[in-house]
Amino acid sequence: MIRIEGLTKVFPNPDGSEKTAVDRVSFQVEPGEIYGLLGPNGAGKTTTLRMISGLLRPSAGRVFLNGDDVTDEPETVKHRIGYLTSNTGLYARLTPREMLEYFATLYGLSKPRAKSRIAELVEWLGMDDFLALRCGALSTGQKQRTNIARALIANPTILIMDEPTLGLDVLSNRLILEMIRTQAEAGKAVLLSTHALDEIETLCRRMGLIHNGRLIAEGDLDALRERTGRQRLSDVFLELVGADDQVFTD
Amino acid sequence: MCFWNWLEPMTRYSRINTIWRKELVDTLRDRRTVIAMVLVPLVLYPALMLGSLQAFEVQVANLVTEEYNLAVESEEVKRWLRRLIDSDPARQEETAGKPAEELVEESQAAPELGGEGKKSSLKRTGAQTAKTGVYANPPDYKIWVVPDVGEAVTEAFVHAGVLLEGEPPLPGMTGSTKVLVAYDESDIRSEIAAGGVQGVLDRANLRLLLQRLKEKNLDTAFVQPIARDEWNVATPERMAGAILGMIVPLILIVMTITGAIYPAIDLTAGERERGTLETLMVAPVPTVDLIAGKFIVVTLIGLMSAVLNLLSVGGTIYFGGVGSLFTRGAEFVFPLSALPWILLLLIPLAVMFSALLLAVCSFARSFKEAQNYIVPVMLAGMIPGVVGILPGTRLEGAIMIMPVTNIVVLTRELFLGRFDYVAIFLVVLSTSLYAGAAVAVAAKLFGQEAVLFADSGSVKTVFQRRYFKPRAVPSAAQALLVITLAYSLNFYIQQAIGKSGLSEGLRYLNAVALTIIVVFAVGPWFAARYMRVNATSAFKLAAPDPRGLLAALCFGCSTWILALRWNEIQQRLLPMDSNVARMLEQQFAWLMDIDPLTLVFFLAVVPALCEELFFRGYALSGLRASLGKTGSVVVVAIAFGMAHYSAQRMVTTTALGLLLGLLVVQYRSIWPAMIAHFMHNAISITANHPAGLKPWLTSLGYPDAADASLPGMWVLAAGMLVTIGVLICFVAPRREHPVELPRPQVQTSG
Repeated sequence: MIRIEGLTKVFPNPDGSEKTAVDRVSFQVEPGEIYGLLGPNGAGKTTTLRMISGLLRPSAGRVFLNGDDVTDEPETVKHRIGYLTSNTGLYARLTPREMLEYFATLYGLSKPRAKSRIAELVEWLGMDDFLALRCGALSTGQKQRTNIARALIANPTILIMDEPTLGLDVLSNRLILEMIRTQAEAGKAVLLSTHALDEIETLCRRMGLIHNGRLIAEGDLDALRERTGRQRLSDVFLELVGADDQVFTD
Repeated sequence: MCFWNWLEPMTRYSRINTIWRKELVDTLRDRRTVIAMVLVPLVLYPALMLGSLQAFEVQVANLVTEEYNLAVESEEVKRWLRRLIDSDPARQEETAGKPAEELVEESQAAPELGGEGKKSSLKRTGAQTAKTGVYANPPDYKIWVVPDVGEAVTEAFVHAGVLLEGEPPLPGMTGSTKVLVAYDESDIRSEIAAGGVQGVLDRANLRLLLQRLKEKNLDTAFVQPIARDEWNVATPERMAGAILGMIVPLILIVMTITGAIYPAIDLTAGERERGTLETLMVAPVPTVDLIAGKFIVVTLIGLMSAVLNLLSVGGTIYFGGVGSLFTRGAEFVFPLSALPWILLLLIPLAVMFSALLLAVCSFARSFKEAQNYIVPVMLAGMIPGVVGILPGTRLEGAIMIMPVTNIVVLTRELFLGRFDYVAIFLVVLSTSLYAGAAVAVAAKLFGQEAVLFADSGSVKTVFQRRYFKPRAVPSAAQALLVITLAYSLNFYIQQAIGKSGLSEGLRYLNAVALTIIVVFAVGPWFAARYMRVNATSAFKLAAPDPRGLLAALCFGCSTWILALRWNEIQQRLLPMDSNVARMLEQQFAWLMDIDPLTLVFFLAVVPALCEELFFRGYALSGLRASLGKTGSVVVVAIAFGMAHYSAQRMVTTTALGLLLGLLVVQYRSIWPAMIAHFMHNAISITANHPAGLKPWLTSLGYPDAADASLPGMWVLAAGMLVTIGVLICFVAPRREHPVELPRPQVQTSG
């Protein structure tokens, strides 16, 4: 379960001023739930996800993963996270097998456990054909499979996905979405940040809308439709963002 | 079912072990690393060394077998010279190959008189070797009679000319004839032709002399009261050590760096650029362990590269026969006993450079950026290395703990067979300490959020004014650029002033003041304008705070005493060079002839205004955001210390820089620092000026004699004043206008 409370990140600008990238954001993702995080570019989605995964230290607020604070016990908590973004790279000079073995060891899996887990993932993702090739020589789809396997290596209970389908073709896209659905069905808490409204519409029951670093709307998709009086998610989105902009210009 | 129950506790050791092994595999699969580490030493060296050796031999062979043209002024001289050349012992068929001196010695038991001997020199080009070789074995000559010998040589119609003042000397004559050999030193062939003729003439002279002595029944000892000879006690092993000691340390330094560069960039900035760093940082591994694993690999690669180079150089010298070339044919024995020690020394060296490279690369966001940062690191490693190579540098005093230099000097000592275990211990210990510090810096930089995720901008925006955003303070990059420009400008202007012969008097002071104004005030002001930086905030021109002024007064009236006291201590511990001391004395003498108020204007008002604007204003503002309060003050203080181009004053100026920096960061105004700087300079200058503060200070107990020690009470009082000033800065800093960035702190809610 993911629970964040009043999460805030302030970045210093080089010229001495400062910028609040994320401003007092709070929400919760239950086990088995896929929570969609929506927002325009630069809204603060990635910064929020980075704070949740322990890559950035929050300026204020707290992140609890299964009840433990990320800042207090980063290593314990990081074991539970599977993190996947559109631009997480692979080691070009290692093979997918070596890459998975490496991360299995980093996540503290014993040798036999690592072996069986890798076999499981390889079978599930159909990675047999390219397991011994260098990652640099893989196709985009193969790379993405390797990346998914890497993210799931320690069988995390929490999945954090930052625009995982960005720039992928239809096939790879479907693979990712399927993986997300399967993982959620297996009882994992999935936090999905994306631009693709249709992904949210098909996968998520609840979502949050981030704009200018603030969570301006949050909750059940149907409730948001009701609140805005719009049916299509893109209209809901525009309505909410537009309303927020008005608040800002007032 | 909770999956993490499977997870076993992972020790730090096994984690780092996993990381470095993966990084090593990854790195060794990188073609660039392999090229830098293996190909360069194993293929390039031998090829280069043996190639140049062959070119050398070919050049020598060509030069000595050519026929050379000589010019003389008459047929008579031509006949005489022809006879001398043909009858030269070195040119006799049956004795060819033996140096003529030996022949003369053998046949007539004559001592070697004058001439260029068989002295060996360490390094010779092929041309030089040919030049000395022809003295003993002259080449073939063609002789021409020309009306003007000088012109023929100048116009290069002939290689050399021979002019006689008097009769051609022959057996039986008693006088002396001056024989002039004309040649063109800028032309190697002319030099060789002349060298050969000189050899012929010297040997002819020797034969004639021996004949005359025989006729008069005199012994050769009669004309040679002192028979000088030399006795080189160095063993061949030691001679080889001396040569290797000059070449090998630099090769090792360069090659350690070269080998470590690619892994260092690849494992930090490269990983960031390829997007694998984010994945890695999400894994439950502390940053320190990550950097430790990477550091082990970079060190290993650097070490392997250095060892391969050492072996390759050794092998090429040993098997390629290059060694005897260095010793000019003498026996070359490789000092094998030094090798294990040198290999041991390589470890801290590799550790230090790897950590330094990692620290620098951790700061870079991309491969390219990292490469740019590395050039200064290479240079920083080379300069102390070159200092160590200088033949006079010995392993004593401060040199023992001077990074890089100490290793270079120690390596040379080891090659020479001198094993000083205390020195080895000190060198290894100090180098290990530096390495540790560099690792700590690398670990700190590597995990920084700003470095981890910030995006690098386009190149265009770096140079053109219209791309610059108006800013309150310069960026770190801008500040570093302006510091670099100011330093080089200052250096060249100082050199120009030195060349112009100005070294004293009012005109000199004028020139120096003008330089300071241009370099440290006008230049940065234009830079700020061009880069659209707000001058008021960049130069910290805000009105001063009364507490800041108070602290400045404390510093202003006390630091000069502490500086004087420190100089006394320093002079005792590390006496300055007598030439420098004499120069300073002269300077002091002419300064005292100038009116004290004028001196105060040139040496206190101008530097205080301009240097503060530049160092504590522009440079400090620029570096403040990226280096933090302490870091920026320290770096600017060191830059300030170095800007005085004086090793003697480095410590005092840097310390003053620290205090002035403290004033500025605590009170966000340049004025207190200017006042303190002005007072320090003004009092320092006039305290010993008879028409300045000296009479008054003497009445208060200041020593009258120039070399007398300062009273302890003065030093104590000054120390207390400085302490009070520092306390004011820390206890009562300026609090309003929170321009300074609060470091983001994690707050607990509720």
